[in-house]
Amino acid sequence: MNKLVKLATATLIAGVTAGAAMAQELYTPNLSYRTGPFAATGIPLMNGQADYMTMLNERDGGIGGVPVNFEECETGYSTEKGVECYEKTKGAAIVTQPWSTGITLQVLPKTNVDQIPILAPGYGFSPMMDGKTFQWAFNMPSGYWDAADMIVQYLEGQGSLDGKKVAFLHLDHPYGKEPLPVLEAAAEAKGFELLPIPVGLNEMQNQASQWLQVRRERPDYVVMWGWGAMNAGAITEAVKTRFPMENFIGVWWAGHDADLRLVGEDGAGYKSISWSYPNQDAPAMKAVREYVTDKGMTKSNPEEMTGVFYGRGIVMSAILAEGISAAQAEYGTGEITASQLRWGLENIDFTQERIDELGLTGMVPPFATSCANHTGNSGGWMLEWDGEKFVKASDLLKPDTAGYADLVAAASGQYATENAPWEMNEACEG
Amino acid sequence: MLRDVLFTPFADMIAAPDFLLQVLWEGLVSGILYALIALGFVLIFRSSRIFNFAQGIMVVFAALTLVGFHAMGVPAWISVALTLAVMLALSVTIERVVLRPLVGQPDIILFMATIGITLFLIGFGEIIFGGENKVMITEQLGIPTGSFVLEPWGGLLILEQKDVTAVIVAALLVAALLAFLNYTRMGRAIRALGDDSQAALSVGISLQTIWVLVWFIAGIIALVTGIAWGARAGVSFALEVIAYKALPVLMLGGLESISGAIIGGLMIGMLEKLFEVYWGQPLMGGGTEAWFAFVLALVVLLFRPQGLFGEKIIERV
Repeated sequence: MNKLVKLATATLIAGVTAGAAMAQELYTPNLSYRTGPFAATGIPLMNGQADYMTMLNERDGGIGGVPVNFEECETGYSTEKGVECYEKTKGAAIVTQPWSTGITLQVLPKTNVDQIPILAPGYGFSPMMDGKTFQWAFNMPSGYWDAADMIVQYLEGQGSLDGKKVAFLHLDHPYGKEPLPVLEAAAEAKGFELLPIPVGLNEMQNQASQWLQVRRERPDYVVMWGWGAMNAGAITEAVKTRFPMENFIGVWWAGHDADLRLVGEDGAGYKSISWSYPNQDAPAMKAVREYVTDKGMTKSNPEEMTGVFYGRGIVMSAILAEGISAAQAEYGTGEITASQLRWGLENIDFTQERIDELGLTGMVPPFATSCANHTGNSGGWMLEWDGEKFVKASDLLKPDTAGYADLVAAASGQYATENAPWEMNEACEG
Repeated sequence: MLRDVLFTPFADMIAAPDFLLQVLWEGLVSGILYALIALGFVLIFRSSRIFNFAQGIMVVFAALTLVGFHAMGVPAWISVALTLAVMLALSVTIERVVLRPLVGQPDIILFMATIGITLFLIGFGEIIFGGENKVMITEQLGIPTGSFVLEPWGGLLILEQKDVTAVIVAALLVAALLAFLNYTRMGRAIRALGDDSQAALSVGISLQTIWVLVWFIAGIIALVTGIAWGARAGVSFALEVIAYKALPVLMLGGLESISGAIIGGLMIGMLEKLFEVYWGQPLMGGGTEAWFAFVLALVVLLFRPQGLFGEKIIERV
């Protein structure tokens, strides 16, 4: 009996201690992929995200005085492992960051039941923009349909697209197919021919056939939705095929410095639409250097830290931190819950003043979310590889969301019907 | 429809023969690289009946080791020598730690052991080298990086010099390997072990030595493959997936045939490119390379279950 009492007391103390430890942190797991075929693009992003949170912990003691536990769960970009990671971390998580369109699609219905916000900045399922339907899912500051629209706008700026041919080189994967509805609609509206060219996962590094098709079809432009090793494979083949680099444009995940470094000067002129820019002079970047790099707390390296993807990781974590801050202010507590964070993520107002205040000047365009709009549609800049680095090659481009509002409504309605009963945010006026 | 399948592709080939040559060249380059990977599988299978699942990761590991040594300031060709030393050490370790304790176990156990080796090398490699994409030291190795631009029939044929080099080096490697297997004592010992392991052991051939040797040769092949593929799009763990391209080559050529691996690799490389460009892209929207080689191999297996060049196994009861 005595033993039983001791055991019960020990269990109670352990439980209380663990509970206290849990309560003193904001658990924001990241379903990372530092291994596998996509690791080369994942690592700088994960490093940027982690370093920003480390900086907040070191400089400010966390967010609102509560330390952030930015634990990573490795998925290797595998959808199955991603779902496992989600299940493993969801207990105490206030957010889940799934990090692939495939994983996002798998966990999307689960989060609606578990009531945990999905944060998928710049990726995931484009109709997530409809916050009333996808009340737990966020892909701000811009989605893939925004990207497709901005790229078409940019191409139109070079001259009418009527009668032109645009090849769409994409990963043969849910992510690669995401922008097709908007591109198909634009092709019909603007009179250009869209030529989809899929690249299989096993063909990412050997795209000879795809670029032979480009050579035969002679498109005016090639638009790329590439990821991981596919980007480097495509860019080296484009150089080999002598495709004019200035007519080759990628989405933001196809604008990785290391991929372009493979071809160096030969890649000059290649472009990538981007909602982030690695402004080295921004105060947030300086703070990361001071509180993280100089203290030897980063997994990154100096070359990587100047790149577009590392800078984007910084912006991603800044968006999450802003959501947490907003929720803390609204609910008057540091230890917010997942549903309180949802409110925070629905009420982000990244005005230029707020961006400057956070030290992110020049790193992300202004945007705002609401319960009805979970994407924010910030727009982006066209970045251009100058042979050594990416530079801004355009003013801020803004997506014409009205152009595909019907597509968003139709796709989100279809999703809700196919996944019925699907709980929506009926209280949201928007 | 019938016209699109039976007539149009051939008319396109005749109308643009320079383009056809380019397709065949790209197929030849891919094919010879597939053949190299398949050779690594065949060598190990012939001598030990082990289907080496780790061949793909060995390509990545060898290439990363080479780039890693060079990044430490070691001159390129010394890096090659050091990488070969690492591959030899890896072969010895695998033989001592993994294979020797499993002698006499069923083939499936040895196969599972190579899956273990794969997982270990992925984890170990990622700890040592990281997962970032790295630039192959092509120029430092003296591999030319320009192109030969030819104009057959007034058209255009671009031959990347590094691809030409890869084809020549691969051909020399295969020739050297065939000479080694046919004209040296150790080579004949490898073949003897593949033909009849009990008889080979009874005349004093050392199983351990041969296993180390074949794994080392597979390591050399992995290094050459890694340099050739890495020169195209960088070196990262994504290279591992190219090992899957060797599976239909093995199905087609037979698991035990060196000539089968070479001819199978070339056939698959060229046929998959021809099919994709002239039939797959115009008629099916492309993406046929993901399955074409497997379908081709399956059709061959319907008529020759041992593959085109594999040995027919007759068991008397």
